[in-house]
Amino acid sequence: MIDTAIASLTSGGAYALLGVGLVLTYRMTGVLNFAHAVVGAFGTYTAIVAFEAGVGYGVAMILGVAVAALLSGGIGVVMARWFAEEATIVRSTVTIAMFLGVLVVGFRLFGDTPRVVPALLPGVRLEVGTVTLTGSTLLSVGGVIVLAGAVAWFLAKTRTGIVLRAVSERPITARLLGVPLRTLVVAVWAVSGAVAGAAVTIIAPTRTNDYASLAILILPALAAALLGGFQRVGATIVAGFGIALVELMGARIPAVARYRTVVPFLVILAALLWMQRKEVWDEAR
Amino acid sequence: MLVTVMAIVVAACTGGSVEDDGQTTTTVATTQATVTTTAAPATTAADLEPIKLGSVNSLTGQIVFPEASAAAKAVFDRVNREGGIDGRPIEYLIEDDAADPAGAAQAARRLVEDEGVVAMVGSASLLECAVNGAYYAEQGVYSIQGTGVDPLCFASSNISPVNTGPYLGYTVSLYFASEVLAKENVCALIFDIPDFRPAMDAAIQQWRDLTGKDLAFSNFTLQFTDDVTPFVLQARDAGCEVVVSNGLDVHYIGFMQALQAQGIDDMAWVGLTSGYTAEVAETLGSMGAGSGILHVNSEFEPFTLDSPVLEDWRNLMTEAGVPLTSFAEGGYLAATIMVDVLEGIDGPITRESVSEALLALEGYEHPMIGSPYSFGDAPAHNPNRASKFLRLSGGTWELATDDWVVLPTG
Amino acid sequence: MRRGDLVLFGSVAAATVLFALLPPFWAFLASSAFISALLISSVGVVYGRAGMVSLCQVTFAGIGGWVVGYLGVATAVPYPVALVLGALAAVPVGVVIGLPALRLRGVNLAVVTLGFAVAVSSVVFVQGFPGARTNDPVTRPGLVAGERGFMVFTAAVFLIVAAALLATKRTRLGAAWEAVRHSERATAALGLSVSLIKLSAFAVSAFVAGLAGGLLAAQLGFLNARNVEPVDSLVVFVIGVFVGAHHVGGALLGGVLGSFFPELLRRLSIPQDVGPILFAIGATHILARGGRGLAEHLGRRRPAAGGDVVVLRPEGGAPTRHRADPGRDLVLRASGIEVRYGAVVALEDVDVEVAQGRILGLIGPNGAGKSTLVDVITGFHRPDAGSVTVGETVLDGLPAHRRARLGIRRTFQTERTVPALGAGEYLRLAAGGHLDRAEVVELLAFLDGPDPDTPVYAVDTGTRRRLEIMGCLAARPTFLLLDEPAAGLTEDESLRLADRLRQVPERFGVGLLVVEHDIDLVAAVCDELVVLDFGRVIGRGAPDEVLASDVVAEAYLGV
Repeated sequence: MIDTAIASLTSGGAYALLGVGLVLTYRMTGVLNFAHAVVGAFGTYTAIVAFEAGVGYGVAMILGVAVAALLSGGIGVVMARWFAEEATIVRSTVTIAMFLGVLVVGFRLFGDTPRVVPALLPGVRLEVGTVTLTGSTLLSVGGVIVLAGAVAWFLAKTRTGIVLRAVSERPITARLLGVPLRTLVVAVWAVSGAVAGAAVTIIAPTRTNDYASLAILILPALAAALLGGFQRVGATIVAGFGIALVELMGARIPAVARYRTVVPFLVILAALLWMQRKEVWDEAR
Repeated sequence: MLVTVMAIVVAACTGGSVEDDGQTTTTVATTQATVTTTAAPATTAADLEPIKLGSVNSLTGQIVFPEASAAAKAVFDRVNREGGIDGRPIEYLIEDDAADPAGAAQAARRLVEDEGVVAMVGSASLLECAVNGAYYAEQGVYSIQGTGVDPLCFASSNISPVNTGPYLGYTVSLYFASEVLAKENVCALIFDIPDFRPAMDAAIQQWRDLTGKDLAFSNFTLQFTDDVTPFVLQARDAGCEVVVSNGLDVHYIGFMQALQAQGIDDMAWVGLTSGYTAEVAETLGSMGAGSGILHVNSEFEPFTLDSPVLEDWRNLMTEAGVPLTSFAEGGYLAATIMVDVLEGIDGPITRESVSEALLALEGYEHPMIGSPYSFGDAPAHNPNRASKFLRLSGGTWELATDDWVVLPTG
Repeated sequence: MRRGDLVLFGSVAAATVLFALLPPFWAFLASSAFISALLISSVGVVYGRAGMVSLCQVTFAGIGGWVVGYLGVATAVPYPVALVLGALAAVPVGVVIGLPALRLRGVNLAVVTLGFAVAVSSVVFVQGFPGARTNDPVTRPGLVAGERGFMVFTAAVFLIVAAALLATKRTRLGAAWEAVRHSERATAALGLSVSLIKLSAFAVSAFVAGLAGGLLAAQLGFLNARNVEPVDSLVVFVIGVFVGAHHVGGALLGGVLGSFFPELLRRLSIPQDVGPILFAIGATHILARGGRGLAEHLGRRRPAAGGDVVVLRPEGGAPTRHRADPGRDLVLRASGIEVRYGAVVALEDVDVEVAQGRILGLIGPNGAGKSTLVDVITGFHRPDAGSVTVGETVLDGLPAHRRARLGIRRTFQTERTVPALGAGEYLRLAAGGHLDRAEVVELLAFLDGPDPDTPVYAVDTGTRRRLEIMGCLAARPTFLLLDEPAAGLTEDESLRLADRLRQVPERFGVGLLVVEHDIDLVAAVCDELVVLDFGRVIGRGAPDEVLASDVVAEAYLGV
């Protein structure tokens, strides 16, 4: 059982990273970004293509993250320019359309064959009992810790972070105060794209990494973010690791194995209903 | 209102319909090629009505199989250059279903009802057998599948694939593991692909019936998106000596990576023909993983080896610019069989006469396959029961079996 | 049915006949279009009409298709019956999925429904559909066995469903969906159960989607998991949003686009994956032009400008008496009410009493707790201590809509009428029972309301506030609580309102509780005043006494 728990850390970290990106985008810009994972995958694949073309490994990785940031920033521009006044659901629906578009463009550009993504820290190994922690696992978990810390510090301690929090709660006020709303929004999107690119790049070497499989990581990311109520970064991280753990644990128990994709969903549903049990009325209306 | 307008617009764009006779040069979209009727000048084929053959393929989308139809087209193009069938050119229509069931259904209906094809040949799709099997039966159309993938390709009266397929192929692989590699603890790790489970269960049962042995450990719940490490660890803990798994090429890379990362080197691995690609060997070679461990099966004469049997295939594919893969072998074979069938028909070549000829087709031997191809009137067809196995050595594939491993009919 | 709708239905019928003349392949495409249109209509019900995001519509379709397949394999049930049974089978599933919707909204609900789609897909659909393994397809009965016949069948099913959904717009159910979409609190205040309304929307939506699934199963013979993937639900939802799925034309447009566009690409020799890319761009573009969808943009009627609204003035003559037997006047009593938010005390030990036929004024500075008290009495907020009774009946524990049904009605500080309904429709919805035209006109005239057919969005805020009051009165309540009815009114309008309010107890037999800042109005209208400050009652009695007292002056002026 312990080995399974440890083996789930890599995936858990990736789910947590992606989930936190979703929560950030939602909190700061009021959009549920269905295209989050596919944008990250697009960046990862750009890095792979560059690497296969002979570009140095580090440079290729940075390029990938930059491409993801750029793509996501582009979506942010579309959001800020044309959808600034629309309801959250409409804006989130647009990201579904974006998801489909980037998915299909990616198929065309990168083909359907999975690529070999070299592990970021090959040869790094840590023996824990009967299980070996690979470099990817360490990177994944480490990445989450670093990101969570960075986000918390940024939002609470830096001026821009506080401004962002203000903007997300009262966009009109912020605009009246001369805060460059559009720039900030696009910046948030770009950063979230970079985070997605990093997350997918970390996880890609450890599992089936054809383009579509990476894009579908949006599902566990959504589940993790959901459990955090789309508000709490800490809960999202815990949820991300939890979901990965439950999925793999479920695989070990024959009776449950077949249904293990359902378990996280049920758990999240129960948790959500419990958390919202007092919310009889919808907020604004 | 809009429906009417759209219909008129689209109808106006069409070249023709079933009612038209004669030279309909309908061009059909593919990512690979547009196919037209005209044979090369200088030979006699141009004036006679073309023989229409069709195929439904997954050409765009998540998982694509473009080489089978491309290879078949190369065969038919050569036939046309050399004068066609009794002077009639072959018009080969390649449709893309984009791995979408509705697309597959539309494509089949277009080919069968709109175009009036006499038969289907060389199709390679993720799901078209499931979607269209009953339709073909209803319409009296037969299909020599270039690459059968979904279970109904092997359970349909009107479809007979040239390849072994992932189910019988799994049985052959288990047989290889237990009888040729002669390992005691044989284990199974199976990806849970929609609709494939019952066929996998039947495949494993067939192995049990043939050998009287059973699996030491099995897990049928792997998902494509999983990290495979936990499952590899499970197999190790269960004392497996050899693991037989399904999946795509990437998954074999994943398994070997996991074995390497966890330092497991005493467990053999057998995979399906999807793992038998040059890229898998190269990739694993560059990682230093899987050598001596991974075996894969080849349902046709192995194409990475320099076999004289494959000379014509190799030349034709290179000339036509088709990548050299096992899918291209399948398409080539399917087209070759079809050409032989067409040439063997006395009298006019129509859907009825072709169907009749296919129903009578038994014991068709070809050096590229280890068991004879057949169609016939059985309710299901899976004629290819033989594989050759290869072992990964460094960065290349080595032959692991001198001759075909043919599954006994038990 | 409006003339535009009739034209649309007629065109569809004509187009179907036209297609029957073309080769069967076109009939097949047309069937696909109708099936897609039906699926998109289901999005129109749950999201377009009732305002809830559901990303699992294709899953409901899958369930319908599964049941149809099962009935085809295991029983001898004829296909049309199996089709309906399949759709009905999807209904309880829809209700179950609707249950989280009672507490979850917006993106939370969206993700939960998506999770459900993934769960069902990976557990049920991945096992395969009945008949697929045994190669036993759904057989269609003689008349619809061919492609053309089946096309006519799918067209008929779609048109019938579309007509039925259109018909609901005239009914209370349709108005109730509209109310829930706009505001849950408003809906409860109208005496309607928000839960039941939401569940009914999910149920109907699941039924329609289940029908689509059953048709698809018959069109293809059997389904497989790839027909009903979660991603497809996402696509259907996006299409539904951008075509405006709650309109028949919108749903049809979506269905036609889905079926015929790939064919168009094929004819133009454009690769198939250009389709999704164009879709992504197109959807983004259309959504940028407004979130209610293409069909609504295309078909929007110009709202009447303020000046064109016909306002009804009351005729002279004796007002109709609705008053119940005066000897049995009820008393609404709130005693010992306490509301705390953590350490903050919103209300402490508040006692308030209104008798039927009397008007009580509730005044006090901002933040005194007046609205909170109204919320507590009407059931919108549960107090930490205290009790609310009407006569002998104890109201504690009853949800807001039940209290509204029992005759306790209220208006909101920010008015909560339902913009998309007509004025008369709104009153009928509020009345909860039958309300004939004469009564509607009378009510509207009483407070200078607009013509019954005027849509609520077309009138100004002041009229809407009065409309809200009219709605309450339409329900013949025993008690009516008004939260700042004069806010934002001019002095003239205030006087007019005061005059009307004075008539209300006599004419309608209600007890009024009026929360107000307008001291003149309160002084003119009320029989008794209660003053709140910092959640406590600091004054009570006849208006002139209370208003002259020092305690009250101190509270207001801070002196």
